[in-house]
Parts: sequence; structure tokens; C-alpha cells
Amino acid sequence: MSMKRCMFEDQIDSYLLNKLEGQEKESFEEHYFNCPSCFRQMEERDALISTIRHRGAWLFKDEAASEQRNWVPAWKRALSSFTPRQWATVGVAAAALLLVVFGVLPQFRGPAPQFVLSETEVVRGESLTLMSPIIDVKSVPTFFEWKSLGQEVEYKISLYNGELLWSAVTRDSRIAVPEEIRQRMLPSQRFAWQVRAFSARGTLIAVSSKVQFQINPAE
Amino acid sequence: MEHRPPEIDLNEVVVKYRPVVSFKVKKSLGAQTPDWEDVVNEVITQVIEKVKKGEFRGESSIGTFIYTITSRRIVDHIRQKTKVLRSAPEPAALPDPCEDAERREKSRILAEAIQQLKPKFKEVLNLYYYQELSRDEVAQRLGISPRRVSERLNYAQKLLRKMIRT
Repeated sequence: MSMKRCMFEDQIDSYLLNKLEGQEKESFEEHYFNCPSCFRQMEERDALISTIRHRGAWLFKDEAASEQRNWVPAWKRALSSFTPRQWATVGVAAAALLLVVFGVLPQFRGPAPQFVLSETEVVRGESLTLMSPIIDVKSVPTFFEWKSLGQEVEYKISLYNGELLWSAVTRDSRIAVPEEIRQRMLPSQRFAWQVRAFSARGTLIAVSSKVQFQINPAE
Repeated sequence: MEHRPPEIDLNEVVVKYRPVVSFKVKKSLGAQTPDWEDVVNEVITQVIEKVKKGEFRGESSIGTFIYTITSRRIVDHIRQKTKVLRSAPEPAALPDPCEDAERREKSRILAEAIQQLKPKFKEVLNLYYYQELSRDEVAQRLGISPRRVSERLNYAQKLLRKMIRT
């Protein structure tokens, strides 16, 4: 119970926490075999440490919780104390992310859908108006006529009498009906005709409606 | 032949050193080792025999003499254990059979005392003894000097001692 401190007292914690090794550990052990004061203190400390080890989770649950609460401000502090260099790193990381999202990821998408135009679908919304014949006629027509869509347009006319009777291509906005077709156009049959317009590159740009007519010879 | 140094009271030696030997053996083998008490008994027996044979000549202290015997016996025991382990599997260790009721009760009282400490003392006990940070790390964490860490630890112990006595 003397007030004089033993120089080995400072090693009690290190020994009990297994932080002493080799000669240092042996010297300390030999010491407590010879120093009742140190041994008494060590027994007391050992009881404290083993209690803390066994019940620490329960003893310090509040401390653990408050440490978690402190964590958020620490995170905010870290953000506000970024050095320019750290900000540069963040910038580079963000740029890399954008590159991945807009540059790399689209390459892994499936192939773009292919747009196949059916016969009556058009790429541009041009309208093609048929002029003649659009109503029943008294005699077999000698030509078909429609509204021009301008230069460099190719028209494909189709004439049906239930099935395709005749088809022709022209750059004019009218076309004469060949004599042999005219001979096959019999009265009281129903006919329909339609014109498709193509651009110089062959793209379908307009389709007319299908106009029906009949040949009613004058009575 | 009878070169026994004066006044070696073997009873006194045994009473005084049994706890010390036990502490060292448990620390070295682990209190979970079921045969730590056997090892202690063997050490005590050897000490008595050697003193009776006059092997303690007073060249060192009796403490050092007993420490040497204890250390050798522990090393022997570990060597034997290793041999046994090679030939036969170790039976599963019992869940701390040495923690008797009295010790458990003391530990419970101590834990309740710790629970009542002010946060600044609990904090330092937590970091140093439970999380096993170094004294410098605890100092850094709490923003105090390492010397203050030691002072706080010592003061906490003093408080606990008082709380347990009353």
C-alpha cells in the first residue's frame, strides 16, 4: 500500500491485452511473481478487462449508437473539406460514369429496329392526288393524270380490274394507256388505279388513294 | 547437503504463490483449457519437492524460482498436448467450466458499476479495453493527450473500486 509506484505497473495493461512479447513479457511475468503489489493490481485489472470483454456489447451499446450518429456529420465534413485535387478526382469519376452511360452502354443494346415499308406506307407525308379518271367514264380512258409532286419524282401507276391489269413508270404527271391495255378494259367492269411516287433515290414518298371507276358507254 | 536457505515456510509459499501460478498458467493455456488446474497442482508439487531437495539455493528470489518452474511446466504441457493432438483428436473444450458462480457474480457487479460511470469514463474503457485501441489511438480519437488517457483509465478504476466496496 505504499504510494511509491512500481515501474512495471505501466505494463499491466499491455500484458493483459497480449501486447507484450518475448523478453519484455518474460521480465514482466518474473516481476509479478516477485511483486505482490503488481500482482494484486493485475488481478483487479484482469477482472475488469475480462468483464469488459464478455459484456462489452451490452455495456457499450449506447457508445456504439452514438458513434454511428457522429458518423454522418463526419461524412458531411469530409465532403465540405475536399481539396481541389479531390474535387478533380470526383469530376473525372463523374465524366467516366457519363461516358459509360452514354458512350459504352448504348453499344450493348440490341440492333435498332428495321423499318420495312409496306406497299402503302410512305416516308414523307406528301399527298398524291389523282385527277382523271376519278369517276365513271363513258369511254375507255386514253390517259391517266395526277397532280405533280415536282421535279425528280418517279411515278408508278397500277391499274386493277380485280387483279393487276397494268403497271408502268413515268416521270410525267400523266401517262397514256397503251392500246393493248385499252382493248382489255371492257365496259361494265370495275377498275381501280393508284399511283406511287418515288424520290430520285427510290424512296417511296407518296401513295395516292385507290380510285375506282367504271366504263359506262353512252346509251 | 542440507543447504536450505533460512526460513522457507512451504505452507506460506504455497498459499502465497498458488494464485500467482494459477494466473500465469491460465494466461498461457487459456482458462478454457480444462486441465489448467492439473498443471498448477503439478507446479506446486514440483516446487515443494525441489525446495525439500534443496534445489532452491537462494541465488534468486523464491518468486523467480517458482516462475522458472511454472514456465518450464507450461512449455512441457504444451509439447505433450501437441503430441497427443497428433495421435488423437482433442475432445471439444467445455464452455468455460472454470468460471464459477462466485466469479460470475463479481463480474456482474462490476459490469453494473461500469454501466453507472459517466460517459467520458465509459468511452475510454470501451476504446482501450474493449476495442483494444492503443493509448495513442484513444488519445487521437478523443482529442486528448495520451497522458490524459492513462489518467482517465486510472480514475475510472478508482471509481469502480469505490463503487464495488460500498
